[in-house]
Amino acid sequence: MPLVRKSTAAVDAPPADVEELKTALASSRPDERWQAARALIDMPGGIALLGAGLATEADIRVREVIFSGIARTATPEGAALLLQLLRSEDASLRSGALDALAAMPADMLAGRLPELLYDEDPDVRLLACELARGMPSEDATQLMADLLERESEPNVCAATMDVLAEIGGPQALPVLQRSAERFASSPFLAFAIEIAVKRIKTTLDSGR
Amino acid sequence: MNEDEFRRLCEFIYRRTGMVFTEAKRYYVERRMADRMLATGSTSFASYFARLRSDVRGEVEQFINAFTVNETYFYREDHQLQCLSADLLPRRILRPRANKTIRIWSVPCSTGEEPYSIAIWLLENWPQADAYEIEILGSDIDTRVLDAARAGLFGRRALMRLSADLIAKYFEQTDAEHWRLIDDLRQSISFSPVNLVEAAETRAHGAFDVIFCRNVLIYFDDASRRTAAENLYENLLPGGFICLGHSESMSRISPLFDVCRYSDAIVYQRPMERADG
Ligand SMILES: C[S@@+](CC[C@H](N)C(=O)[O-])C[C@H]1O[C@@H](n2cnc3c(N)ncnc32)[C@H](O)[C@@H]1O
Repeated sequence: MPLVRKSTAAVDAPPADVEELKTALASSRPDERWQAARALIDMPGGIALLGAGLATEADIRVREVIFSGIARTATPEGAALLLQLLRSEDASLRSGALDALAAMPADMLAGRLPELLYDEDPDVRLLACELARGMPSEDATQLMADLLERESEPNVCAATMDVLAEIGGPQALPVLQRSAERFASSPFLAFAIEIAVKRIKTTLDSGR
Repeated sequence: MNEDEFRRLCEFIYRRTGMVFTEAKRYYVERRMADRMLATGSTSFASYFARLRSDVRGEVEQFINAFTVNETYFYREDHQLQCLSADLLPRRILRPRANKTIRIWSVPCSTGEEPYSIAIWLLENWPQADAYEIEILGSDIDTRVLDAARAGLFGRRALMRLSADLIAKYFEQTDAEHWRLIDDLRQSISFSPVNLVEAAETRAHGAFDVIFCRNVLIYFDDASRRTAAENLYENLLPGGFICLGHSESMSRISPLFDVCRYSDAIVYQRPMERADG
């Protein structure tokens, strides 16, 4: 019979030493960097090294393991790093950071969200709307309604309406109605408002 | 069991195994919990949970054993076995190999039907089998099922998809309802405990050409699925393949693997060793 039993050699574990892992993170072999990144996440000082590594990392698998590790460990340090990356010039880093933030427990972000929604960069405000989607409905409604009231950037307005349509509560209705007047000349936004209002009312009716 | 107790128990199971139990599974959880309390003579949730947390007399292992779902049978989703002999192994032997051993891992293997099916299938359907040494390993977190797998005694239900010829060739009937796998086959497969979400445990099993990881990720949440996928990635040789259950898809779990669509099955591949650029 061609079937055999053998004693097997284990797969190499990554080095246990931070300095060695740091060297491995700069290796020319992506698999080695991948393994080092995975191990560093749980090491003291690891997140800072990974954050620095991300900026030059071109391999999507290595990037992914860093993002998913940061999301899994859900530390304040990791969250701070991801928030920083929302400002990156590199679109794939921005969206990787956004996905990882969205995968973290909502209460980790709750405190940081208002400030992001006030950021002077409209792209950051836009991404922050995506994060609000993962918040409890009442909190998200409040944040989106406040933003909509003061926002002038059409893309960001559309994002708030989108979030409100999905998870908004009735407290948003007055603000939506006011913005309907404000955006009367933009058919696209007027339509988005109409949908949000309709959805909230439907949810309200079915909840009764 | 009150809300808080239920939540703490589920959290404990999740941390130890990656398995997620929600409110919908409350009855399942309560039943098993009641069994363990009875078996250990615990009179309250608090006293049992304390015993569990300090792992008195290996209670953690017994507890995990009680919560696993071990449903399995011979030749389950045999289109993947077809894919193994028609596509995966021929590709694995295309390149010159350092040695003649082909390693296949059935994880989780439950009571052994899956690794034994792989063995029977290859003996029956892969003409090149004789030119290689084939090492098949079965592993599971549940130590009870591993004992059953080593014993190799099966009931009618487990054999329902095997032809009478195959049963006659590879089993001996022991009574009206039971069949024992022939010694040759039983002794040619090793079984070992492993927790898929513990990298130190998966690494100890070495690198494989093909891994079958079927019908376990459905019990995990996204985070533990990803951890298991990352662990198994390390257990694959470059170019090695992983087969999941029919309702499981790696694409939704991790971008680590390449998707391969063969005529009999969709499987996932660890890319060949890459260098930058
Ligand atoms: C439904 S069986 C699957 C058996 C076989 N692969 C099949 O498809 O028929 C699921 C098995 O997963 C095992 N399991 C659950 N969590 C595990 C973990 N963290 N590590 C390893 N095995 C696990 C259970 O003990 C159970 O035997």
